Order: sequence, then C-alpha cells, then structure tokens
Amino acid sequence: MVMAHGPTLLPTFMPVATQAAIKGLTSQQMEDLGVTLILNNTYHLNLRPGIKILREAGGAHKFQGWRKNLLTDSGGFQLVSLSKFTKITEEGALFASPFTGEPTLLTPEESISIQHAIGADIIMQLDDVVSSLTTGPRVEEAMWRSVRWLDRCIAQHKREGRPEQNLFAIIQGGLDSGLREICLEEMVKRKDSVSGFAIGGLSGGEAKDTFWKMIALCAEKLPDDKPRYSMGIGFAEDLLVCVALGVDMADCVFPTRTARFGVALTRQGPLNLRLNKYSQDLDPIDKDCACPTCRSETSRAFIYHNIGTETATAHAVTQHNIVFQAKLMGDVRDAIMKDEYPAFLKSFFKGYYANGKYPHWIVDSLNSVGVDLLEGLQNTQVVDEDGQNWDYA
Amino acid sequence: MTSPNALNPVPTFSFRLRSTSPSRFSPRTGHVTLTRSRPTDGHDSATIELPTPSLVCATSRGVIQHLSQDNVQRTPCAKWIHVPFESFLQIDPPSISRQEGPNPLHSFLGFSPSRHLLSLSLRDPADGREVPANGKEFVSTLTSRGTRKIAAPVFRSYVTTVLPDITFAMSDIPFTPPPHSQKRTTKSVDRSAQWLANILAPLNLPSLPQTPPTRLNVFVHMVGGIRDAARSAFSYMLREPLEPKERTLVQLKNLDEGVSGYVFDLQPLRITLLAEEQKVSLQSLGSPAVPHRPSDDKVCDTFVSLMHASLEEMPVEKPRLVNTTLSPHEMLILIRDVGIDLFDSFWVQQAATWGIALDFRFPVPAGTEEEAKKHLGHNLYDDCYAIDISRLADSFLDGLTHSNRGESADQKNTPPVCPCGACSPTWSNEPLIHSSLDEYTVPRGTVEPASPYTRAYIHHLLHTHEMSAHAFLAMHNFAVLDAFFAGIREVIERDPDSFENEVKRFFAVYDSTFELLDEAKRSYHEVDKARGKGRLAREKELQTAKVAEELDVPVPTVEVVEEAIQG
Ligand SMILES: [Zn+2]
Ligand SMILES: [Zn+2]
Repeated sequence: MVMAHGPTLLPTFMPVATQAAIKGLTSQQMEDLGVTLILNNTYHLNLRPGIKILREAGGAHKFQGWRKNLLTDSGGFQLVSLSKFTKITEEGALFASPFTGEPTLLTPEESISIQHAIGADIIMQLDDVVSSLTTGPRVEEAMWRSVRWLDRCIAQHKREGRPEQNLFAIIQGGLDSGLREICLEEMVKRKDSVSGFAIGGLSGGEAKDTFWKMIALCAEKLPDDKPRYSMGIGFAEDLLVCVALGVDMADCVFPTRTARFGVALTRQGPLNLRLNKYSQDLDPIDKDCACPTCRSETSRAFIYHNIGTETATAHAVTQHNIVFQAKLMGDVRDAIMKDEYPAFLKSFFKGYYANGKYPHWIVDSLNSVGVDLLEGLQNTQVVDEDGQNWDYA
Repeated sequence: MTSPNALNPVPTFSFRLRSTSPSRFSPRTGHVTLTRSRPTDGHDSATIELPTPSLVCATSRGVIQHLSQDNVQRTPCAKWIHVPFESFLQIDPPSISRQEGPNPLHSFLGFSPSRHLLSLSLRDPADGREVPANGKEFVSTLTSRGTRKIAAPVFRSYVTTVLPDITFAMSDIPFTPPPHSQKRTTKSVDRSAQWLANILAPLNLPSLPQTPPTRLNVFVHMVGGIRDAARSAFSYMLREPLEPKERTLVQLKNLDEGVSGYVFDLQPLRITLLAEEQKVSLQSLGSPAVPHRPSDDKVCDTFVSLMHASLEEMPVEKPRLVNTTLSPHEMLILIRDVGIDLFDSFWVQQAATWGIALDFRFPVPAGTEEEAKKHLGHNLYDDCYAIDISRLADSFLDGLTHSNRGESADQKNTPPVCPCGACSPTWSNEPLIHSSLDEYTVPRGTVEPASPYTRAYIHHLLHTHEMSAHAFLAMHNFAVLDAFFAGIREVIERDPDSFENEVKRFFAVYDSTFELLDEAKRSYHEVDKARGKGRLAREKELQTAKVAEELDVPVPTVEVVEEAIQG
C-alpha cells in the first residue's frame, strides 16, 4: 500500500497515538522500531490541540514530527463511548462540548473537513456506531444511516479535493449477518469512490464465535483490490485469525496500554512483569527480540523494579510491545509470501498455547479456511475460552 | 596478550587539572579519565573522558528519569551517571546483586561500559525526607518497602558485587529532624571516617597480585554538617597517619591517600540551615522537606564557607563534586568561590518533570541585557505556548535550521545548535526490519535531520499527559546544561580573570530565584486535577493529586488509574 508518506506493507498492525503521540515515545523512536503507519484519534485532536493549531503547524504530521503514514478515525466512536449526552440524528451526532457544555453537532461533512485539516493519509467515514451488544431495530437504522453518511462523506471528500488522502468506508450491521450483507452490498457499490473498507462495530464484547464469523463474512464479500481494515483488533491470536480470514490492517490501544501496566507480549503469551515471580529474573523479556529494550538486555527483574514508578521503564515495555506486534505481522508477511502461512499458524499457536489448550473458536475459524491447527498434534484439548493467555500468578 | 590489568575489575580513574589556578579555591578546569582494562562491549579496553566543570546525571531507581535506553544514547552528554543504591534494597537479596559479567551494574541498568562512567552511593543525595536515626554501625536507608539498616561491611559487599566505577563511601549524614547537637556531629565525623576505612581496604581477590593492593575508586562525603570546626576535624582525620592496626588493614598511610575525590551534598545542608534559620522543626516544613527553590545569597555564602572549611587543608588536585544544586546561579557561585569541578544535574531533570524547557546560556550572549530579568526557561504548561510553533529555546538554534543555513551563515552572530532529541532530532538510518520485504521499502544508510519539536507540541503533550513531553524536556535540559558547562570551561580557559565578570553578567540577566519553577508546579497540579477521567477514577485521581500537591512531589505517572478515555 503506497500513500503520500511512503509505502506500508500489508498485512500490518497500527499502533494508536491517540493524542498525537505513542505513549512516551518520539516519532524518531517509532520510525526506528520499523513502524510505517500509526493512528491518531480525530475526536481527541479536535479537542486538543484543536484544528486551528494543527492548521498553524501545517497538519498533524508536522505537528508530531511524523514523516510516515497516518490514519485518523472519524471521531464518531469516541463520541459515543466518551460522551454521555451524544444524540444521533440524521444530520449528525449531537453532543455536549466537553469544554463549554454547549450542544455541538458533528456531521459527516464536518468529520471529513476536520480530517482533511489533520491531513492523515487514510481518513474514515463518519459512521453511526452502536455497541456490538445492541440488538433490535437500532442496529438496522444505524447500518442504513452509515450508508447514507458514507455518501455524504464521499461528496464532501470530492468537494474539498484531497486526492492524496484516502477515504475508507466502514461496514456496519452489528452481529446480524443479514444486515452485514446488505451493508456490504451497498458499500461495495461505492467502491470506486473509496480507497478501502473497514469492518466496524466488532470487538466490543461479543462472543468470539460471532466475531470471527462476522469478519469472515465481510472479508468474503469485500473486493480483493482494496485494503480491509479490522478496527480495534490487537491480541496476537485475533490478528492471526483475521489475517487468515483476509484482513490487511488492524489497530488497537491494547499493546501500548498494557505495556504501561507492565505486561510484555511474547510468543509464549503475555508476561505480567508486576508479578513477584519476575523480581529475580535476570533474563530479558525475549532474548530473540530486536527491540531496544531486549537488545540492551534490560532484565525482567529491572522492569519489575521500576514498572509503575519510572516512566522510562513503561517506555521500554511499550517499545517491546510495538516491536512484538510489528514483527508478528512481518513474519506473517514472510509466511504468506512463501506460501507457508498455515505452517506459521500451527507453529505460532503451538508456542502460544503451550499447555495444549486451544480455544475452539480459533480452531474453528482456521478450519473454515482450510487450516487444521491440531493436525498431527497430541495431547491437545479444545476449550471453550476466548484465548487470552493472561499471566496471573 | 592479556595485560596483567585485564583481571582487575576496577577501572583506573584519574583527574588532571588543566588550568593553573591562582589559589586553592579559584575556578578551574580539569579532565576526568576512566580507563577500563577489561574487555567491554566488544572492545579490549575503553576510555571515557570528561572535561570539567561538567555535569553528572542523577538517576532515580537506576534510570535517568524519563529516558529509555535509546534516548540515553541520544543524549551524549550523559557520560557520568550517578546511581543511588537504596531503591534496590527493597527486596533481599537485591536482584541487582545477582547480575553477572564484568560490569554488573552497567549490565543490570543497561548502560554502556564503553560510554558511561557509573558512580554509586548508598543513599539518594536528592532525597531529603526524614529517616530514622543512623546507628553506630549502620545507615538507615529508604526503600519503597520501608527503611532498611545497612552496615558498612554489607555496603562493601554490595559494591564489590555490582562493581560501580566510583563508589561514594557510606557516610553518617543525619536525616533526623535538625538541629543536630555538637555531640551528634562528632559522631557523624567519627563514623564516616571509620566507614571510609572499611570501603578503602584492598580487594583481596585471589586472582590479583597483592601488591600493589587493588582497591575501589572511592569518593568521600565531606561531613561535619553546618559546623566549620567539625568539617575541619573530618578533613584532619582524613590526613592524620593511621594507627598501626588500621594501617595494616587498609594498607594506606592515611585515609586521604586512598580517596579519589570529595563530595558535598547540599540537600541536607539546606534542610539544616533552613531549620536553624527559621527555628522550625523539620516536620513543620512538611514531608518530604525537600527545598526545591535555590537558596539565597546568605545561604550560598554559608555553603562556600563550609566547603572552605572542609577543603582548606586538602590536596587541590582531587576532583570536587557537589550534589543537588538547584540553579545555574548556585553552580556558578560554587565554581567561582570554591573551584567545584562536577555537579549533579538533579535540578534540570526536575525542571523537565515539571514541564520546563530551559533556555539560558553562559557566557550571556551579547545584547541580551534587558530591563526585566529573564526566566531560566519556559513553563510549557502556560497557554501562551499553545500555538507557539518555535523551537524550545531562543538561545539555541535547531539542527534543521542550522543545516539549511549552510556554511555561508554569519558564524559569529549565530547561536549554537542545541543537539538534543527535541531540537535536533535525526531519523535513524537503521530502522528495524520486520520482514524480508521491508528492506525494499525502508530507506537506509543516511541520517537525515528531522524538524525540531515545537513548544506548541510539548504544550499539547503536557496538557494531555503524554509522557514523551518529559522525555523531550529531559533531553533538552541536559543539552542546555551541557552547553552551560562548555561555556564555563571556555571562559576559564580563555581568560580566568574574566570569569567573575561573566558571572556578574549572568546574574544581571537571569532570574536567580527560579520563580518559574513554582509557576510550573502549579500548572502541573492544575492539569493533573483537570484531567478527564471516569467518575470513580477521577475521585481517586483527585485524592492522589491532592496528596501529591501537599507533599510537593510529582503525581505517580505510570501507575495511573485505567484510562477510560481511549477507544
Ligand atoms: Zn523486546
Ligand atoms: Zn534542545
């Protein structure tokens, strides 16, 4: 995928820089880690520093000193999740300004204009977001409204003439496959006016079985020649399944947020470095990892000593987790290029679920694309679990 | 061939005075050299050099605050790094004491033996909090899990295990409420001398020749509190011939023979002088009773005379190190009136924590004289920076502007470049590669200058509680302090007589009270309170912020309550 700020290889994971900064790290550090695409949140940037300052600074790239690719969301999701008083009308999302309390309207046109001012390489349509646990007519209403708002976004995007910025549509329709199919049909009709498609409205607490089936359904129907972006996905197991189902891009705050709480991601599962068992552990997080933290052989014991008290230690774990995600996706790219992705999946999950307990949704979802994870393995057990391998004690 | 020194775990420390000072306490320049004969970092040996006067980086819990290892590498002025040991005592045995290899302290903390000189003290010189009384045999230390009593032989065993390049001998400096009686001060002097002897005793390693004896590089705190007589007494004890029994043990004529440098910690002196002057108890100053604003002229005069009392009879050619100064003015006074060589950078690192970008130079650039005193930097919390897209400091250029100007620029009237990671960031020529395809898409091989970060961006980061703000400010403030010392060295070497005049000019231009610091702290706490939070979390956060404000410490930043704010 080549955009105004260079190439980004797919599939890829995008670290989230909510406030125009990846937690604790500079843009130079991010580039050093081999990251070429990050995400900023429009809702937050619009509040602080505000569009006026971003314009003054020459856009969000210049403001945060980032020279690679950038994606902004539409601001809709945060509006709904962070503002108690948001009311959705056909015109747009009406909410109380967090500063003045005054009613403020975010329209699809407004969202696109703001994202134009921010200047991201990928911008997202404003969609009518409902929680993935919502049922009933509201889901259908939101789906149809998202389609209508897509048209308004496309019109605004064309009107303002920003060909170097790429507009993505967002597939909605909740957990109802019928609605998803309608949404897919409608939005794919507009494929010449958009650069890519996101799968929205998932990863909000729905059952894993439903989650993968919805992803599979969308990936199946989306055109092959446009990137597919699965929003809010960040666990290693979710990423690998989504890629197997045909997803190219994903984002999540999880890897960077969990780092600040001392959780380091590894291919054997996450390590919770706040646990006493690491207090005397002089090994690095992962001796094979190329991140600055592991390369300088920072020990688990030293991280244990300082996590929660020294910001620099949180930065060190953040760097590791970003590299973990990037390397995971890099290995995925290599495996796909060599036509060895099934073997890669098998070997990854063998290490990740070393106890032999495989969540059945992972086994099922991969079976659906012809990968039998359990083939040739003994002493495995298929369990009814989500599959996050938490390091509890 | 392996040199006989190759087995010596202790590097060679030397200090050489460069300028010939007219008197014992005149400003002076010098040169620190540390030579490691043991193989390190893939080199057979390593030499670290540091011209003085210079800075010593302070650490908290073993890290230079806010700087991850790669940012430490972006901060080349971080050469001498001081590590207080006490935080590691929170678990027994300290995990650090189990680290193996030729440079265990470097390895554990992730510093480079070929680039970083590490010194170690038992206690944190910047921690002025009250601590239970020390005893005849031990010092009370503070850890995050309560106090721990450490005896001199125990300290010695830790030091000989973790192997810092320089060890500050364990000293009896009381952190019980002042004032301290004469009797208490006498005890302090006696114990400190005794403990110094303990750390100076040769390292009887079976692998090493017994003669000449191998010992640690030791600096000693010049104790004696605020009493000139006690200070003289301590320095006398350093010089007096050792008793035969001790002499056999330590293998020195007198203690000073084994001492490589002298240390003064200002924080305990400030606390004692403050209590004395205001006739108030330590408790009523609040805990931690850590003064954060520079001391007035009178107190600085007292520092000078106390240091004179300590150094009056001591050899001039040993380095003198001062911890916890709180402003460039204090540093200048101590260079001018005592001839101090090394200063910890505690206060500039604190300024980074409170959101201040330093902006001052020595000597003061021509034409800077103004009617109103200039602040020492910018409180970037202030809303006046919200839309300010200039670089962090007016007195320095950024790398990009400098490289765009090229050779033709008027060299004379051009400010120097601030080389820090905020003003002169560079894109790496070696980003990580994650797949075989990446190599074709990632440009490699050239280090390109990046745009400087702006005040508006740091202002934004501070107001959104993004911790990179402090990383940028720490890198920048180090660079400003490093340039300050370079300027000092240059003036002393060019014309020592002009130094006093340049100090006067500096005092005339820059605010010596560091008023900005209080302003920045107020902003810090306000932003902290206003920070958007979930309902429950907000309550808790407010409570923490309130306590932190009362205690006058930064709110713990990482252990934040789960942010409800992200999507
Ligand atoms: Zn790592
Ligand atoms: Zn700078």
